[in-house]
Amino acid sequence: MVNQEFDAIVVGSGISGGWAAKELCERGLKVLVLERGKDIRHGMDYKGEHARAFQLPFYGMPNRQRNDSEYPIQSTNYAFSDANIQYWNNDKDNPYVQTEDKPFEWVRADVVGGRSLLWGRQTYRFSEQDFKANSVDNVGIPWPVEYQDIAPWYSYVEKFIGVSGEAEGLAELPDSEFLPAMEYFALEKTIKGRLKKKLPDITLTMGRAAILTQNHKGRGACHYCGPCQRGCSTGSYFSSQSSTLPAARATGNLTLLPNQVVESLAHDETGSRITGVRTVDSESGERKLYTAKIFFMCASTIGTAQILLNSASHLYPNGLANKSGALGKYLMDHLQLVHMGMFADNTDAYYQGNRPNGLYIPRFRNVGEQDSDTDFIRGYGYQCHSFRPDWQNSFNKKGFGVAYKESLTKPMDLWIWATAAFIECLPTESNQVTLHANKKDRFGIPQVVTQFDWEDNARKLASDSATQAEKIMRAAGALYYQTGDTENLVKGGSGVHEMGTARMGDDPSKAVLNKHNQAHGIDNLFVTDGSFMTSASCVNPSLTYMAFTARACAYAVEQFKAGKFNA
Amino acid sequence: MNRREFIQCAAILAAGSAVVPTAWSMSHEQHRFLAAEDSYISHKSLTLFSDQQRAVVKVIVDLIIPATDTPGAIDAGSDRFIELMVADWFTTQERDYFLNGLNNLLVQNEGFISRSAAGQIKLLEQLEDDASGSAWFDFGNTTRVWDSGAPFICQFKELTVLGFLLSEVGSQQVLRPNPMGSFKGDIPLLETDVSYAAELPMRLDLAGM
Repeated sequence: MVNQEFDAIVVGSGISGGWAAKELCERGLKVLVLERGKDIRHGMDYKGEHARAFQLPFYGMPNRQRNDSEYPIQSTNYAFSDANIQYWNNDKDNPYVQTEDKPFEWVRADVVGGRSLLWGRQTYRFSEQDFKANSVDNVGIPWPVEYQDIAPWYSYVEKFIGVSGEAEGLAELPDSEFLPAMEYFALEKTIKGRLKKKLPDITLTMGRAAILTQNHKGRGACHYCGPCQRGCSTGSYFSSQSSTLPAARATGNLTLLPNQVVESLAHDETGSRITGVRTVDSESGERKLYTAKIFFMCASTIGTAQILLNSASHLYPNGLANKSGALGKYLMDHLQLVHMGMFADNTDAYYQGNRPNGLYIPRFRNVGEQDSDTDFIRGYGYQCHSFRPDWQNSFNKKGFGVAYKESLTKPMDLWIWATAAFIECLPTESNQVTLHANKKDRFGIPQVVTQFDWEDNARKLASDSATQAEKIMRAAGALYYQTGDTENLVKGGSGVHEMGTARMGDDPSKAVLNKHNQAHGIDNLFVTDGSFMTSASCVNPSLTYMAFTARACAYAVEQFKAGKFNA
Repeated sequence: MNRREFIQCAAILAAGSAVVPTAWSMSHEQHRFLAAEDSYISHKSLTLFSDQQRAVVKVIVDLIIPATDTPGAIDAGSDRFIELMVADWFTTQERDYFLNGLNNLLVQNEGFISRSAAGQIKLLEQLEDDASGSAWFDFGNTTRVWDSGAPFICQFKELTVLGFLLSEVGSQQVLRPNPMGSFKGDIPLLETDVSYAAELPMRLDLAGM
């Protein structure tokens, strides 16, 4: 089946890998995608789609004993349930080592399509300020690109994936190419009106989501069933399963092999070219070497770092493409802190359908220039969720019989509005992944060791997010509010926005990749998953991975067609 | 609601609001989907309780949530749900604790089953009063996965409610499915309107948080 020659190999089929497959195939290359997870088919294998609680084991109550033994890390993620358990990585089968007191939760999928099936679908552009931040603040290394370089690629990607949202004209959160925005709840309209009067500098906008509000490029508009993370047979949210992989397949240039765990990359005698990918078949254990002329690493931030570190050779004793020493270091995530308010407004209003999206408050701290009242740099945005509590939040009361029964059937006379701060985290050398000296996984591949702690600036931002949330909750008219605990922060990795382990930069002595996502010194190796990120911004990063992937593919194919990768 | 509970609740909310699918027309190929499965309680057999235990559980769930103009806990199979959960979902320790609570109720209240409904309720109210100090009653203490140390009567009530409102009968005939197809963010909530059924129980084990 796989006797043919490939022009390009893409490692991983998630958000970045799907885009690499589409772009390389559409530009005429013969492409092999290697995915470590199981094969599933779009729609046909979304087994939990539209299942109701009573159809699930234990009516959907978490299977604690199984989760503790097999999914102790994955089961802490909100999207994990028995309705989509087939998508998730089994933690027991795929161990890694966390450093004591510096934990990092590695959330992983284990199917074709990767975490593009499970992602939160929030879609925001980095701003000009984000790309300048490192050089202005003298933190980490400067980005080798500016907003202007990426803006056309944002547009290119958005037009394909479909992004619903509202244009606001903000420099700090550039508008995307939008489909119509989703509707507000009554309470959200009330809050928006109050904030406009009392805190006019704060923008409250509909979440920008890669969810279709109208039919788009052969995919159906959202039917508002709710839990996207079970898979969507109408392709209403963007995933590589629904969108990029079908486009790649349509060219006739795609070969996709599931169950292929990539162990390492092989290079030529000069060390300036990659020659192949060494794999282990997760079912048969068979080891193979696949060859091609161009290689795209889209194996996720930690996965890619693991593979490159494990590709060390006499020419690259510290890991492939790691002359800078930056590989595996500068691991970042977004720190989340949730603040919550209760509202007695609009209790006579309800809704129909489930909106898989919330509101968004773009970053308003240190925008443009440094605020004079801050002892921190950067900022955070709030993802806001409205919720009408019901019996699930009020069954624990006294009483028996008819009155108790009746009290369970009506929504409570209040709304809850939560603002979850997503906080930018600075690139920090000690936050890193390495390979364990002797622990190996079931394929004989050295296990990853993670080490992560929130740095001081992120901690200050967390405190400020509580102070500002208090102002916002007051202005919004909350009856009661409580800000999140700034002492006991969530673990690293829980934002599932891990990035930065193969950062890009112009200086080869400090960066793994150049401005084309191309490894310094290895011109046929490209890395376009989250590991290329030089800084984190505070916005959800997937759109940025997609835009850089498409841009890197265009560059790689240009080079390929110019004969740059021949001998 | 204490801080920890608040955070638990907030974490779930931040993750995305509770969602409620309704019936969906399925192709032949989709018939092996979970959405085509029978109810959890209908395809599992009961093996844990004695006949006597089973009878008293049935009496109590009916007292907690009787049938009115809508079905009650027995119609919804709360008693079956309780037996299955205690047998298969509880840890050994939790199971022993619950069975002990059930047996105490029977032993200390001989003839419980043959008492009048009023007498039975009085006894349950007494049990609930005795449990008053428990944190189980704290406002908002509802999103933890399970409170293993809560008084027996509280655990019994919680299982009864879950077995009632998550069930096929309770979610469709007592509550109502949230219709999918479109989203309207602002429609009137009528006097007669009941809540939408839950897509999943709102529980999250955040032991690591």
